[in-house]
Amino acid sequence: MVRLKARYLLCEINVSDRNHLLRLTDTSISAAVKTTVARIHGDYGRALCSIGFSVKYLNAHTGTVFLRFPKRCYKLLWSALPFITSIETHGQTIPCFLNCVHVGGTIRTCQKFLIRYNTQQLRRMLPKCKNEEEKQQIRKAILNCSLTQGNKEAYDDELESEEDEEE
Amino acid sequence: MRNQPVNIQYPSSPLTEESSTQNGGDTPVTGGGGGPSNIHPLPEKLNSPHHKGGWVRGHQKDGGSYDKLMPKYITAGAFARARAAEVSTMLKAVRKVTSSCQLFASLPNHMRRRAMSHNTKRYPRRLRDMANRLREKSLQACSKKKEQTKRQSRKARRRHGNLLLEFNRRQRKNVWLETHIWHAKRFHMVKKWGYCLGDRPTYKCYRPCYRAMSNHCLLQDLSYYCCIELQGEEDKLLASLSQMTSKEAGPTFAAALCISGRRQGSVVLYRAGHYPSQPLGPVTFLWRPRVHGSTHRQLWIWAHPTIKQDLLPELQSVCQCCEAVVPPVVPLVTPAEVIPTPEPERRPENTPEAMQIHRTKRKRNCKDASGPPAKKILGDGKRSPSTPVTWRSNSTGIVINDLTMEIVRYRLIGPQSHSVLAETLEAATDCDPSTLWWPEHCKDESKMNLHRQQVDIFNILKDIYSSGELPSGTVLGLTVDDPRLTLPTKRVKALPCVKQLHMSLMLMLVIQAHAMCLCCVFLSEVDEEKRRELMLRGVPELCCQSFLWERSIRDNVTDNKISEQELNRMRSEVLVPGSRLSPTPLQGRVPILLVHQPGKQVGHEMNSWGAGWDLLLPKGWGMAFWVPLVYRGVRIGGLNMSLKHSQNKASPHFPHDYPDCPAGIRFQEEQEAELLDKFKRRPPAKRTNYIKHGCLAPFRCPWQQLAEEWELITREGREERKRDSQTQTKTGADTVTEVEMTSHPDITVTKPPSRFAVLRNRKSLRLLSGWCRPTTSKGQRPCRVGEVPPLDSSAATSFLTEHGMSLVWVRLSLLSKEDLRLLSNKSDCSSPQEPPHKNHFNSRLKCRKKGSKKLATTSSSDKTEGSGSDLPSASEPNLTSVEDAKSSSETPTDLIFGLWPDPLPSITSHCSRVTLGWVTQGDFSLSAGCGEALGFISVAGLISTLLNQPMEHRGTLLLRNPTSLSYRFAKINIEV
Repeated sequence: MVRLKARYLLCEINVSDRNHLLRLTDTSISAAVKTTVARIHGDYGRALCSIGFSVKYLNAHTGTVFLRFPKRCYKLLWSALPFITSIETHGQTIPCFLNCVHVGGTIRTCQKFLIRYNTQQLRRMLPKCKNEEEKQQIRKAILNCSLTQGNKEAYDDELESEEDEEE
Repeated sequence: MRNQPVNIQYPSSPLTEESSTQNGGDTPVTGGGGGPSNIHPLPEKLNSPHHKGGWVRGHQKDGGSYDKLMPKYITAGAFARARAAEVSTMLKAVRKVTSSCQLFASLPNHMRRRAMSHNTKRYPRRLRDMANRLREKSLQACSKKKEQTKRQSRKARRRHGNLLLEFNRRQRKNVWLETHIWHAKRFHMVKKWGYCLGDRPTYKCYRPCYRAMSNHCLLQDLSYYCCIELQGEEDKLLASLSQMTSKEAGPTFAAALCISGRRQGSVVLYRAGHYPSQPLGPVTFLWRPRVHGSTHRQLWIWAHPTIKQDLLPELQSVCQCCEAVVPPVVPLVTPAEVIPTPEPERRPENTPEAMQIHRTKRKRNCKDASGPPAKKILGDGKRSPSTPVTWRSNSTGIVINDLTMEIVRYRLIGPQSHSVLAETLEAATDCDPSTLWWPEHCKDESKMNLHRQQVDIFNILKDIYSSGELPSGTVLGLTVDDPRLTLPTKRVKALPCVKQLHMSLMLMLVIQAHAMCLCCVFLSEVDEEKRRELMLRGVPELCCQSFLWERSIRDNVTDNKISEQELNRMRSEVLVPGSRLSPTPLQGRVPILLVHQPGKQVGHEMNSWGAGWDLLLPKGWGMAFWVPLVYRGVRIGGLNMSLKHSQNKASPHFPHDYPDCPAGIRFQEEQEAELLDKFKRRPPAKRTNYIKHGCLAPFRCPWQQLAEEWELITREGREERKRDSQTQTKTGADTVTEVEMTSHPDITVTKPPSRFAVLRNRKSLRLLSGWCRPTTSKGQRPCRVGEVPPLDSSAATSFLTEHGMSLVWVRLSLLSKEDLRLLSNKSDCSSPQEPPHKNHFNSRLKCRKKGSKKLATTSSSDKTEGSGSDLPSASEPNLTSVEDAKSSSETPTDLIFGLWPDPLPSITSHCSRVTLGWVTQGDFSLSAGCGEALGFISVAGLISTLLNQPMEHRGTLLLRNPTSLSYRFAKINIEV
């Protein structure tokens, strides 16, 4: 069996105004990447983008993106990412830049890294809180994202509902 | 991908908000604890819908409308919650197996165990719960499926009662004959005309069956023929029935011999007053002999099941019997009960009806087993009990009874059929008085006298040499013993008794004393006299009477039949095993009717070939007589043998050779569909290209078009001749050929409303038959009818004005080599060839294929069969191809490669030889020793051909198979 290998880049989108973040869509990001690669590497780079490239996941609240590149040329494409200065969505240009946090061979490793990264960030946030209310909220959030019994049950329930659907 | 987090982004259009809510776009976790609504401290209505699942495509130009949906500010709490939600979804995605395979596959290789899914304890603990759940689910599904398809064990299914139920269920759709099971084990069964009939045996016996027909005896079950009983005053019956027949087409219902009840007759019925158009079909009929000079008569009309649906309403209208007698609800008749009082109005369906009730009841409480046991269906199991079978007329007093499946009819074909009958049947013996019908009759001296006379005649019957020697249609009534009692232990071949008698006589002459011999000779002379009497005059009227005519006796006999089981029990109690039951059981007397079936009646050679006897029995006794008959060494034939029988007999076979009857039309349509289906099942490259062979309608014979075209041709010829007679240039015969060469009639020109008819007028047929017979022909007697007027144009014209639209049924025999040499007188006996035609539809078909990839294979076109061959006339000059003219016909709805699309061009002039008609069935005839075919020819075409032929070659035509290009010479025979 031949496996088609790829590299997954976990990137953060940094914007000046966080509200703009919510406007992002996966299509707009992929379009921005493609145009930038074309600008930097010319037609060759644009063509490389057309084969194995896709936006695997986008969370508009946190600004995390999974980008998939073919393993053969991911370095080349990656080198174009810093040149993204703005993303155009819904007729608006959002000034931003991409910050690559992690490079993984599978989505799974990226996800694992993301978990670690997010929890780390939350923990970092905790001492910087200004009032008690915020502190409480962040504590709650940290508790939520660790593996607890409640989460497990939710998982099982979900499994059952899936089975029902199959029937 | 399963279990992967989906994108979290705002929808591109606000309209989708509502619909997206239930998806809980924020990955499955949102449903659990955290919930997406808690992520933002914003108003909830904004929050929750905005988590849209799936990819959002498309660009929204009016991006401004989003601003009001967007949160205005952000807090640390919201930030943290968003992170937390993401983490939990990722956690879930990471923990869950993404592959679509089962639990088993999620384990690493070294942890897999044998039979893991069977024994869930072999799973690691953490997976055990899930495995258990999966296992239960699969078990449930299995049990559900099993319940649906649960079947009784074979043993239970084959138990007698259950088997009967099953048989009764299967009989609901198509009626089974009484010999069905016997046939189904040995025959290819077909479902035809609402019955299950044996088509042909599974073993090879084509020639043995023919040999049986010509030397010994062939047996067929014809119980599917429908019997309709008419009762009423003789003159009224005759008056109403005479509307449906015509004297021109042969003897009718009123023929003297038939009406006395001594002979069975056959007629072709027409719709009342419509002769010669709208025929219904051929039927045979049988009058009951007069009882004590009363004028109340009984008539049985035996018809093919396909005629019945047309015939019955016609008979009702003719006899004005519109009043259906509602069948009374009859209480159960116990078998021992006797109904000696004749009740003409009693439902014949009593017993089956009661049985049906039983059956349904049984079905309902089959588990209680309280219901009476299921009974075998006798008679028509398909009919619902409320259908009326009796109609009575108030004005004429005629009663019509539908006796379908009430009487079993077996046909024995062959010269030895009488000896088979004589060996199987044994005249009823006297017995002690009892309540059964036969003992009652034994008390009556006159009835016993009649019985003795009938037995005498039956004994004489054994001595005749061949079944064909008797006058055709002879009827003999008889009462016989149960033939199961005399069943031989082994299958034997019934031999004629005549030879045995002579042999014994010879021996006696040699060995014994002189006086004894004289006595014997004297005896045999008396027998001889009686036999001659029988052969010349037939059975006297008195002996044609049978108790089979009486419904009460019929029902009595059916009800009181000893079951096979009972009979076997009685046999086992006999002291000497294998000996005959000494006191014949009282119930074993059956009234029967023997009807002689005529053999070949037309033509000069093989006279009375295929004659035989029909055996009529009360229902229920079918198998009791069938097995003993089979044990006498007869062959059994199916439907295809009856077709061959009538073909060899040179008589038209019912649905095939009656294209003008409604049943014949239906048959043609069925055959067309069947043959087209068969044609389409071949790959296109392997199909015969009928267009190239010049065969317009290979699966069907467009008789109507043929008749119309020939009518047009003759009409034009007549006009031409009129013109010519003024100019005085050519002879009539020349003009006819000229006309045929020049006129390419367009089908759309004339559409006469009249339908074609088959010529059945005896006088006209005789005339035609005389005309088409060459005067000097080897091995043929001179025409029986001496005064055939010579064929000339005036006679032809007068004949054609009468029968312009008619077809005539002809027999064609291929000419042998010597005949051909005589015909041509030259060294070259090669037959003409048809030039290959061009397929003009090829290009169109290709274009269509290119345009749309779909082939018009699903089209249900009505191009079908015709075992047909073209019959272009021999001496016609070649006609120029006329195809160019008609290739520009309208766009056909469907094109099948190798078949002409629907509006057919002119048929007569399509080939290089003029088409006269088509063959409906043709084969190598074992009786004639050459190829023979039966078909129809347009009368107009035949006469114009005959006019153009020289005297010595008259009646020679060309015959061509639809799949070949070469013509063959054939001789035409019209036999009356």
